[in-house]
Amino acid sequence: MAESICRALRDGALEGEHAPALTIKDSIDAPLGFDVFAHVLAQLSSHILAGKSQSRGLVLVAFTRSPSFYVDLLKERGLEVNSSRKWIQILDCYSDPHGWKDRIMGQGKVDDATKEASGVSRLCKDVKDMDKLCSLAIELGKGLLGEGKGRFSFALDSVNEMLRYASVHSVARVLSDLRSHDLASCVFWLLHSDLLEDKVAAVFDYMSSMVASLESAIRASNGLRISLENLSLTEQNFRRAKFSIRFKRRNGRVRLMSEEVSIERSGITFSSVSTDGGTMGGSLLPKVQFNLQLSEKEQMDRAKVVLPFEHQGNGEPIEIYDGRRSLADKNNEAAGTMQMKDSSKVCLHCWCCYRITDVASNYSNGGIS
Amino acid sequence: MATPKTRASSFSRNVPSTAAPQMPGVKSGPNGTLFLSSGISDLDKILGGGFPLGSLVVVMEDPEAPHHMLLLRNFMSQGLVLNQPLLYASPAKDPRGFLGTLPSPVSSKDDKPLDRDSEQEKGLRIAWQYKKYFGENQPNSNGQRDNKFEFCNEFDLRKPLQRQFLSGQRVECMSTQDSPDLAALHDRCATFLKQFFRTDGNISGAGRIAIQSFCAPQCTYFDKEWHVLSFIRSLRSMIRSSNAVVILSFPPSLLSPSFSKRLQHMADTLLSVRAIPDEDKDLAKLLTGYQDMIGLLSVHKVARINTQVPIILEAATFSIKLQKRKFLVLECLNQAPVDGSSGTSYATSGSCSVSSKGGSLDF
Repeated sequence: MAESICRALRDGALEGEHAPALTIKDSIDAPLGFDVFAHVLAQLSSHILAGKSQSRGLVLVAFTRSPSFYVDLLKERGLEVNSSRKWIQILDCYSDPHGWKDRIMGQGKVDDATKEASGVSRLCKDVKDMDKLCSLAIELGKGLLGEGKGRFSFALDSVNEMLRYASVHSVARVLSDLRSHDLASCVFWLLHSDLLEDKVAAVFDYMSSMVASLESAIRASNGLRISLENLSLTEQNFRRAKFSIRFKRRNGRVRLMSEEVSIERSGITFSSVSTDGGTMGGSLLPKVQFNLQLSEKEQMDRAKVVLPFEHQGNGEPIEIYDGRRSLADKNNEAAGTMQMKDSSKVCLHCWCCYRITDVASNYSNGGIS
Repeated sequence: MATPKTRASSFSRNVPSTAAPQMPGVKSGPNGTLFLSSGISDLDKILGGGFPLGSLVVVMEDPEAPHHMLLLRNFMSQGLVLNQPLLYASPAKDPRGFLGTLPSPVSSKDDKPLDRDSEQEKGLRIAWQYKKYFGENQPNSNGQRDNKFEFCNEFDLRKPLQRQFLSGQRVECMSTQDSPDLAALHDRCATFLKQFFRTDGNISGAGRIAIQSFCAPQCTYFDKEWHVLSFIRSLRSMIRSSNAVVILSFPPSLLSPSFSKRLQHMADTLLSVRAIPDEDKDLAKLLTGYQDMIGLLSVHKVARINTQVPIILEAATFSIKLQKRKFLVLECLNQAPVDGSSGTSYATSGSCSVSSKGGSLDF
């Protein structure tokens, strides 16, 4: 299912449509957002390097981590940043967002990025001007393409950081401009939902075509008090989370999927979890009080009931139930099963013995429902 | 509904039918109201004739589905086909691009589902005597179909509208992204509506305004909720005195709840669209025709002008289906029977409960 997100980003935009946009949402209960973001980034980068994706380059707008961090991250996954073909550009909004270092240190080195990172990164000194940021990002992307044709992708490190510097509508403008740009293949961004008002979080849901949210896999009984039992639960939240995705499909329907994500030393893994099915559908329609469908067990039990008269139809001689003994008892006597041998000894002398056998045979059959 | 009825009750205005204007695209209805078609014949039937002239139609969007665009597209195409001028405003930088997605009307030679129905009904005419008491199901389908085309067309969503309808004079487009306090949009609407000023004589023409995704987050006026409300209020007053219909769609989840409610109250006709989950086994079991459904349309308020009698709808929620992936139809929801004594389950299901009451338990 995380595969399907990466596939959707890889396939990119159709002609005449906006580029697919992914929001990765997390919260304090499930703080694995950045890991998922890094995973998606790495997957898309490997697709770009292998030439399998629609986009030929990636522009990463980094607010929360330095470009060298990203270069190292990609190197760990075997993705070389400074290869012969330029495929990634990082817009560095982390090192000096307001241009203060530049003013203080004057001519000195502003960004202490490593040599590798400085090759692919471009410093942005005024992040408050969102329009300029947007045009810088698009310029970097066009630079990646060079003279060739093609499209490029955008990744935004953290929308929360952007909202610190600018208003909601300017951030929304940037995202919609990136999405609707002719050369954009896909856009994705990270969001911490509990740091935002509901209305603002709803804005980013509105603007995206896929919403991936991380929720706590374990429901703590009382989230506030940190006691010994809660501590271990909270620790687990740093490693595991429930990952659910809402896809907005082209036909106007919404596809819901759910998985479990866990972070280990080796990396991030996604495993499928049994879905509880159609919770959205349940809220749209009233709950039916009586169930018209039979469950599996009920169907099997129904198949076991021997019909009283003609329509037994299972190849055995027809047995008419005459009300005295259960038919299963008769069948078992005829077939001669082991467990029936002892209890089938009929005491012809007293009616009570006969009855006890009858009851015992019923119990060992499991009864007829 | 095609033939105007004589006085249905003492509360309805007695307007002689000779005063009705014979203008294509405008239909006269009860109580002296004039209707414009929404472009979807099922919706016109549900709303009792169409959108009344001089009313504001508000569509509440669902952030997960683009169904409001279907309603807007049909509305706009209908106006263009009938030569009614159109003003279109959207938050995109280049709104004219949207005009390329407007559907084209089907010609009468195309295979239409209506034909087969009327054929069958002719055979049953002798047995089914009660048809004469229904206003709409008259056996003279040919004449009626011509009349219907002058008012409401069937649109093929896969074919784009021909270029001739999109020529300059009839369509004006405007982007609402950059206007800080909606003054520009207000002025544009005012100049557009001046052409359709309502006088007591015969109407000369009717116009349509379509505003898409009002209060989209990328617009500069997004946070200025009081400005938004005062714009709607003045738009309403302009509309009342002109022969035009405004359809406006907005995403209610992006406004604060009190403002969203205020906006909804300002509407004359209030509709909402909702997305449905894909491949949902529960819904597939509970609803017939789930495979063709793409969404749900709910009618919350219907405009009633010149009368005190409200419209009581049989059902408030309809499913939006695409027949043969071309034609937009609205159908009542057909559900499995619901146990009548379960009062609590209705409360959780919202407006669907109205449809379930009317639907399958009528013996």
